[in-house]
Amino acid sequence: MITRDDIIKIARLAKLSVEDDEIEALTHDMAEIIGFADTISSAVQDGFEDFDDINNITNAFHEDEVQESFDRELILKNRDGGEQGCFLVKKRSGRIK
Amino acid sequence: MSKITYIGKLLRDKEISCTELTEKYIMSIEAENKKLNAYVNITAETAMRTAKDVDGKISRGEILLPLEGIPMTLKDNISTKDIETTCCSNILKGYVPIYDATVWNVLKNQNAVLLGKANMDEFAMGSSCETSCFGGALNPYSTSHVAGGSSGGAAAAVAGNIAVYGLGSDTGGSVRQPASFCGLVGLKPTYGTVSRYGLIAYASSLDQIGPITTSVEDAAIVYDAISIYDKNDATSQGSRKKTTDTLKNNIKGIKIGIAKEYFEGIRDDVKESIESAMKVYESLGAEVVSISLPQLKHALPVYYILACAEASSNLGRYDGIRYGYRTPSYNDINDMICKTRSEGFGKEVKRRIMLGTYVLSAGYYDAYYKKAQQLRGALVDSFKDAFKKCDVIISPTVPMTAFELNFTQKDPIETYMTDILTVPVNIAGLPAVSVPCGFDDKGLPIGMQIIGNSFDDAKILNAAYQYEQVVKNHIYKELQTGVRL
Amino acid sequence: MSWEMVAGLETHVELSTKTKIFCQCTTEFGGDSNTHCCPVCIGLPGTLPKLNKAVVEYAVKAGLATNCRIRNISKMDRKNYVYPDLPKAYQISQYDKPLCESGYIALSSGKNINITRIHIEEDAGKLIHERGDTYIDYNRGGVPLIEIVSEPDIRSIEEAVEYIEKLRLIMKYIGVSDVKMQEGSLRCDVNISVRKNGEEKFGTRAEIKNMNSLNFIAKAMEYEFNRQVDILENGGCVVQETRRYNAEQNTTESMRSKEDADDYRYFRDPDLVTIAISEDEIKNIKKSLPELPGEKLKRFTEEFALPFDDAELLTKYKKIAEYFERSCKDVTNKKLVSNYILGQMFRRLQTDTEKEEFSIKISPEQLNELVLLTENKKLSSNMARNVLEQMLDTGKSVMSFISESDMEGIDEGDLRAICEKAVANNQKAAEEYKNGKEKAIGSIIGFIMKETKGKADAAKATEIVKELILKN
Ligand SMILES: [Mg+2]
Ligand SMILES: [Zn+2]
Repeated sequence: MITRDDIIKIARLAKLSVEDDEIEALTHDMAEIIGFADTISSAVQDGFEDFDDINNITNAFHEDEVQESFDRELILKNRDGGEQGCFLVKKRSGRIK
Repeated sequence: MSKITYIGKLLRDKEISCTELTEKYIMSIEAENKKLNAYVNITAETAMRTAKDVDGKISRGEILLPLEGIPMTLKDNISTKDIETTCCSNILKGYVPIYDATVWNVLKNQNAVLLGKANMDEFAMGSSCETSCFGGALNPYSTSHVAGGSSGGAAAAVAGNIAVYGLGSDTGGSVRQPASFCGLVGLKPTYGTVSRYGLIAYASSLDQIGPITTSVEDAAIVYDAISIYDKNDATSQGSRKKTTDTLKNNIKGIKIGIAKEYFEGIRDDVKESIESAMKVYESLGAEVVSISLPQLKHALPVYYILACAEASSNLGRYDGIRYGYRTPSYNDINDMICKTRSEGFGKEVKRRIMLGTYVLSAGYYDAYYKKAQQLRGALVDSFKDAFKKCDVIISPTVPMTAFELNFTQKDPIETYMTDILTVPVNIAGLPAVSVPCGFDDKGLPIGMQIIGNSFDDAKILNAAYQYEQVVKNHIYKELQTGVRL
Repeated sequence: MSWEMVAGLETHVELSTKTKIFCQCTTEFGGDSNTHCCPVCIGLPGTLPKLNKAVVEYAVKAGLATNCRIRNISKMDRKNYVYPDLPKAYQISQYDKPLCESGYIALSSGKNINITRIHIEEDAGKLIHERGDTYIDYNRGGVPLIEIVSEPDIRSIEEAVEYIEKLRLIMKYIGVSDVKMQEGSLRCDVNISVRKNGEEKFGTRAEIKNMNSLNFIAKAMEYEFNRQVDILENGGCVVQETRRYNAEQNTTESMRSKEDADDYRYFRDPDLVTIAISEDEIKNIKKSLPELPGEKLKRFTEEFALPFDDAELLTKYKKIAEYFERSCKDVTNKKLVSNYILGQMFRRLQTDTEKEEFSIKISPEQLNELVLLTENKKLSSNMARNVLEQMLDTGKSVMSFISESDMEGIDEGDLRAICEKAVANNQKAAEEYKNGKEKAIGSIIGFIMKETKGKADAAKATEIVKELILKN
């Protein structure tokens, strides 16, 4: 059975902040979905093998030959060009409640 | 003549210039999109520029490729360089890719006229398009109904005749279901035949890009153009042959498998439509055989476990650091990441990330993820066995017709259940096409799903085409919304 | 009460492939921040990885060189954790099917340190913290690594250091990495616990993360050993945790609490396909391996009859070992060659890096020419020594510094006459030598060398001089 503590733990792993008043509803929702997924547990029989790859492809490699990298302006394009050529996360920002 | 073929002929015959054609489409988008909400970003300038190039080629007497000059749309999870690509999520608003998805690169090289980016469920998670941060796309047949999802915008655009064709992505039915809801043809190709490079991942082992069109022939034309080997995608293989080559072949003697498992809990009118389609097939000389797919009942939980597990990993990268939304106020980096994600993702996306994280986490992996993978293998085998007895398998695409607005908001499980007929082929990597096969009493389209064995994309399109030719007059006539001239 | 250290090492070695593991950006060290990047290695939405063929090959080489079994079927997995230096929020690594398993490294004591596994994975980017702000450079992101995991077989700091040195040398020899520790291309995590001597059961271990100097590793292990012993002797319990070495204070400190215990949610990466390596391919890679340092050392001592210490010094640096072998062509007394390298040449190479690079002005063929002349008694050893200095200064060949007459040598009769003259002219030194002052003989030999312009055979001359003094 999925518990409140499970929800808190999963949210931490998933890097989602869950407000106290959301936990109840989330626990309920998740329990329902998990319950639905539980139906598979009895379906697996002996001799079922681990599945790996749908088309059984092997060895799709790239050659060890250098291709030109992207211009830094492009790499940083979606973060306002960055600062000192880097992505930047300021220590803290804005009003803190 | 299919719509793409017909417009191509008009362009070649100089009946209309590509610029005029494109202008007409853009004008109608401006008029219709307010109603349908099919587009989330209209790229008129890009479209007009391409149209001009095409007109230049025509005036120089150069030969046009099949998709050259044809106005179309891309689902907003397909990366387009210099054109905002959001997956209809607040977390990616303002994100402008610096590279093109392979499919778009291929079409761009053929001078496809991109009219804009199409609406979708946020990160393709949903079956009504209503989880889009821009609000859902509506069904051109009835705007009190959804266009379907997740590729709802592309389906609404094509059915509303504000795009000739669209590319969607299908992880658990996201091309076929909206095609079915909007009376269109939607192809989910064999996994690996269309490159996923540049498709913003939902569930990597299930995602596949496919066309949404008004006819089977158009679907074949678009599929042939995009199903090429791509060195950027390790799972890419390309298609084995051109589907247009065998599209019009006689289907006398082919065996159509009907599995009773595919007809459980299906609305009566939907069931009846499929039954009459079977009569059409018999009249074409096909043989209907009954088959069994015992693993099918597990497909839905298996799908949700696997898709959410992969999604929880694929969506970890939206941390506000390199692109997309970043929360305006935070205490430290970790706080920034958590707030950004919590504010940027919608409810359904967060729900699936949580579920996926749970089924992979220590202590639960064996009970859920591992078991789901084992059942995946069993389902693959079960399809393999079935295809020893038949050439294609036919089922309804969706157990019902288009949902009323807000249907999916009520109960997640009930909503998930509606994917029951489409998810099995994603799990098994198979090709499937949805073709219109009738209407319900509200006048909403019903879709039929034709499933093939791996790499038998040509075979299902051939079967779909032959059916379409027979029913053309009483079904397709109402669907064909004509060319904007 | 005496305590025993139990340690296992996880060693990350950056591979020296030209391109990154999943894209074709360069792996070159340095460069302006974020200039060795593309959509794939900064994890832009929609991008897909494709495995570098050479990474697999290099890892198999590393496995074979450390006596591992190579898996015929392998795969890539995702290790999920969110950290700003990891742009996809997962590291593509290998979980339950590593490329190489069950190897070992033999220490000089004869003890083997067993290797559990070697797997391939991607490196992360670099975080630069300034006044609490975080700057991120992804140039390193996606550089290929192998992670070599040892069994907890290490019982002392010396064993740990020798293990790392051996590993490092092997990687260098087989050419899969430049293993420059200061550039971080070899980094170690140390798992360490203590137990009472004679006890079977392992104690609770702490993991000290990410050290890139042997000195730090040794110090961290020492500190950590003492810390754990202190805790246990005072009746406490060691906490299983991740720690970091603080070089300024020479301590280890806790990095994160147990509450945040990692749960990496490993699963097979659906974007990458199965890696299949046939026995034939493994055989071919094995064939392509050069002689390993251990084998070379053995050959140098057994076949070349070198003293163990000489052989060890020569094999410690790959370039030097190769230089030595090429200089030995047709030479009977290999020790002669070794002496020149370990003596005169080493004096010019003070640091480890200089020895590693071994940029010496003369070629092995040039040294060989000199050695052969000496061995055939065409040149006296003294003269050879002088000439070698000049060769090393200029890069010119031996013949630039000697004439025909220099090579004629001095016959024994002439040498005896000169020796007699030398003793006669250095009576005082002769007297001192006779009274037991060994060193005094030096000035007499010096006189002889001056007289013969260095042509005299110093050993021979010493022999004659001693005989003359003692006879008197
Ligand atoms: Mg590692
Ligand atoms: Zn790159």
